[in-house]
Amino acid sequence: MSIIFFNEWKGLFRNKLFLFFISFFLLLLFIVTFFGNIQNKKQILNQQEAKNHIRDQWDEMGPSNPHSAAHFGTYAFKSNSILNSLDEGVNAVTGLVLRLEGHKQNEVAFSESSQSLTISTFGKLKVSLLFQFIIPLFLIFLAFNTYTSEISSGRLKLLLIQGNSMSKIIFAKIFTLLSLATLLLLFTILVQFFLNINYIKLDQITRLVIFFFSYFLYYFIIISFTVFLSLLLKKSTSALSLTIITWLLWTIFIPKTVGNFTESLTPLSTRIELSEKIQDDRSKGIDGHNPFDDRKIELEKEILARYEVDSLSHLPINFAGILMQADEEFGNQVWDKHYGELYEKLETQKRNYQLSGLINPFASLQSLSMASAGTDLLHHLDFLSHAEKYRRYFIKTLNDEYAFGGSKTGERGWKASQDFFRSIKDFSYNEANFISMKNKYFIDIFCLFLWSLSLVCLIIYYSKNHPFNEY
Amino acid sequence: MNISIFLFEFKHFIRNKAKLFSYIFFMLLCIYSIYNGFEIMHKQINTISNINEKQDIECNIVLDWLEQKKGPVDKPWVNIEDPYWLIRSTPSFIVKNPSPLFPLGIGQAEQFGFYKEITRWSSTFDSDMAEEISNYERLINGNIDFSFLIIFLLPILLIILTYNIHGLEKDLNFNKLITIQNKKLSSWIINRLIFYVLIVLLSINGMILSVGLITSSFAYFKSMLTLILISNLYVIVFSFVFYLIIKNASSSSSVAFKMISFWLFFCVIIPGSVHQYVSIKYPANYMTEFLDVNREQTYEVFKLDDIELYDFLVEIHPEIVETKKSQQDTLDSQLVRRCISTIINQMNIAAENEIEMQNEDKNYLIKSTYFFNPISYVQNLWNSCTATDYYSYGMYRLDIQESIISRNKLIVLELWNESEVDKEIYSRYLKILNN
Repeated sequence: MSIIFFNEWKGLFRNKLFLFFISFFLLLLFIVTFFGNIQNKKQILNQQEAKNHIRDQWDEMGPSNPHSAAHFGTYAFKSNSILNSLDEGVNAVTGLVLRLEGHKQNEVAFSESSQSLTISTFGKLKVSLLFQFIIPLFLIFLAFNTYTSEISSGRLKLLLIQGNSMSKIIFAKIFTLLSLATLLLLFTILVQFFLNINYIKLDQITRLVIFFFSYFLYYFIIISFTVFLSLLLKKSTSALSLTIITWLLWTIFIPKTVGNFTESLTPLSTRIELSEKIQDDRSKGIDGHNPFDDRKIELEKEILARYEVDSLSHLPINFAGILMQADEEFGNQVWDKHYGELYEKLETQKRNYQLSGLINPFASLQSLSMASAGTDLLHHLDFLSHAEKYRRYFIKTLNDEYAFGGSKTGERGWKASQDFFRSIKDFSYNEANFISMKNKYFIDIFCLFLWSLSLVCLIIYYSKNHPFNEY
Repeated sequence: MNISIFLFEFKHFIRNKAKLFSYIFFMLLCIYSIYNGFEIMHKQINTISNINEKQDIECNIVLDWLEQKKGPVDKPWVNIEDPYWLIRSTPSFIVKNPSPLFPLGIGQAEQFGFYKEITRWSSTFDSDMAEEISNYERLINGNIDFSFLIIFLLPILLIILTYNIHGLEKDLNFNKLITIQNKKLSSWIINRLIFYVLIVLLSINGMILSVGLITSSFAYFKSMLTLILISNLYVIVFSFVFYLIIKNASSSSSVAFKMISFWLFFCVIIPGSVHQYVSIKYPANYMTEFLDVNREQTYEVFKLDDIELYDFLVEIHPEIVETKKSQQDTLDSQLVRRCISTIINQMNIAAENEIEMQNEDKNYLIKSTYFFNPISYVQNLWNSCTATDYYSYGMYRLDIQESIISRNKLIVLELWNESEVDKEIYSRYLKILNN
């Protein structure tokens, strides 16, 4: 098999068109990776500047009332991971800025795609665009006549007479093209690695390995599928037509259709419905600004009993701070209920979409590619959860200061020191470790392996039953 | 036009299962995409009618208060004759109704919100202006959208239908026979090509007109005609390039390779490269100018004394100088502070204009690439016809801004004129707030 493999490579090197294309792709991948990194680093820098700008305002706020500071709030800026330059995933359509303030949870706003006219339906020219749309097509064109050309040139018979089995010949051809795809993959990953060598940690290495193997398996599937069709149809043009139609179905039609289908299976509430449900639930609880709320009276009694006094004015603390924190905690429960349901539905949609990998390996590849770059839906939800966790810490710290920082009930004008505000930690988000999320991607890995194994079995079966085996 | 070539091509088309299947499959996809467009449109219309219902219910509650001269039970401090409370309690929504041509192109509709509740503190870049809740991964894959099918998949259908014209004859080595039988090879290719171009054009024009009939959107006749014109020109330009490729064919697989490469280059690589370049030149905006107004500058305004606030108010609404309240010796602090939202809104407008200008610079750059990036041009032109492009949502933002200004102006003028609200005055308010 190795002799056929090396011979195939020799043949490829003799083909000038092939040499042109391989050089073109290597150059294109280098340029795309390089500019992808420049764009990504510029975005990270902008995000950092915006973050520092907002934090500076907080630090310079001066002595202020903690409740006013809770309304003043802060912002969480969604940062790009360094592997965002490989696959942008959902980042162009998700918002970038999330306002964190007291009493309410906001939506992440200002997505990049809402800031201009449409430019490209398939996204920016990133490595993922080349690896998902263009290189597979290149591989299809290299693979579709590998078998038929051997028949027409008579070389197939010669190889069989020399003692090679049909499956050996077929797999040698598949591995030749796969090694070519591997070369392109490794080259890009190395460029990405060296351009970011100062930021690469173990997690990024794991992600790059996952990125590599996802594409490796997908290319194996694409090449094997094309060769299998040419084996089956025996006509190169029919094989080419059918492979291109399949490629279109996999990359364009099925993802859109399945995406719509999964959304209709698990429909999401509209924003107005969700906000009405939240408002309804919240109005049943304590409203920090509503003196007639039953819960407030209960809380008041509880605090008076705890401090063994008979009036709020005798409390050594500021009841308003406790009331606001209690309202905040009730609001958090309401948010957890409704947004918990929403996130669960989104995860169910994602899982259902991942199952489409059984009929469409591209779905599995796309999911793993975004996951390894840290740009899929699950990573976005992780960012939102961290931002909400921070909001809760931020507001609780302010409410606690208002309640126990030295003011008494009724002292609305009381101000906490600048040092206190500066002591509150800033929001900082570290992307989730890939290993901690690995379970969510088992379906994708399983589907890619299933496709690969099924194709191996089919090729072996068809090779064994091939009429040429009689030689 | 040679009828016999036409008839021969028709027979070939009917007998060739792959071509026939591809054509039928594409047409079914188009029908599905239109159905999908209608689904999204109806979903939006339903949401809008629910909003209108909700708005009517809340306005009727306020009318009840006025009738009974008694405010909400849980808020006894609310004086129902005070315009401040009444305007605050009156909801108003600004919605973007989908165009009747929406099923023909969803465009950027899923990247923007289409309804917004207006309060005196609202702005056009509030977080509730973000897109409707949806699965982001589905958003990046997009919908089965008619415009997507025409702009991106129709050229591929043309490739499948035409890639073996002349190429097959070369594959089977009887291309010379064709040259002998036909005086001009080019007219033989053109006739065969025209057959496919015609069936494709007739089909898509029929579909566009059908949507016009279903939605009775003949008021949008000009937009519909533009869509037909764009799609037809688009198909013709692609067919012309394919003709050149076919004419110089060496084999059908080489033709297919060249056609696919052309498609990839113009539909994927060029728009993708422009997108990347635009992102490097104008990275995603974190809108810190707007955030500053929303937060720091708002709090600075709250710290101003009454006289400074009054001066700002007079600058925005000079007419208040003539009111009795204005001519009193001392300023009514509560009155001045109740009008702060007008000042903040003015600051918001300035920050929003700044952002719109930055976005416009980005759009200008995009437009300047149209001469080598025609696909983006066609896409945006199409989206503008179906009112789903960036500028259509820009107009919607302007409507929202108008409504915020009206609400704040109403509060200021009614408060400074010391109006007392009754049902008649309230209906005037409703007209202003809902316009």
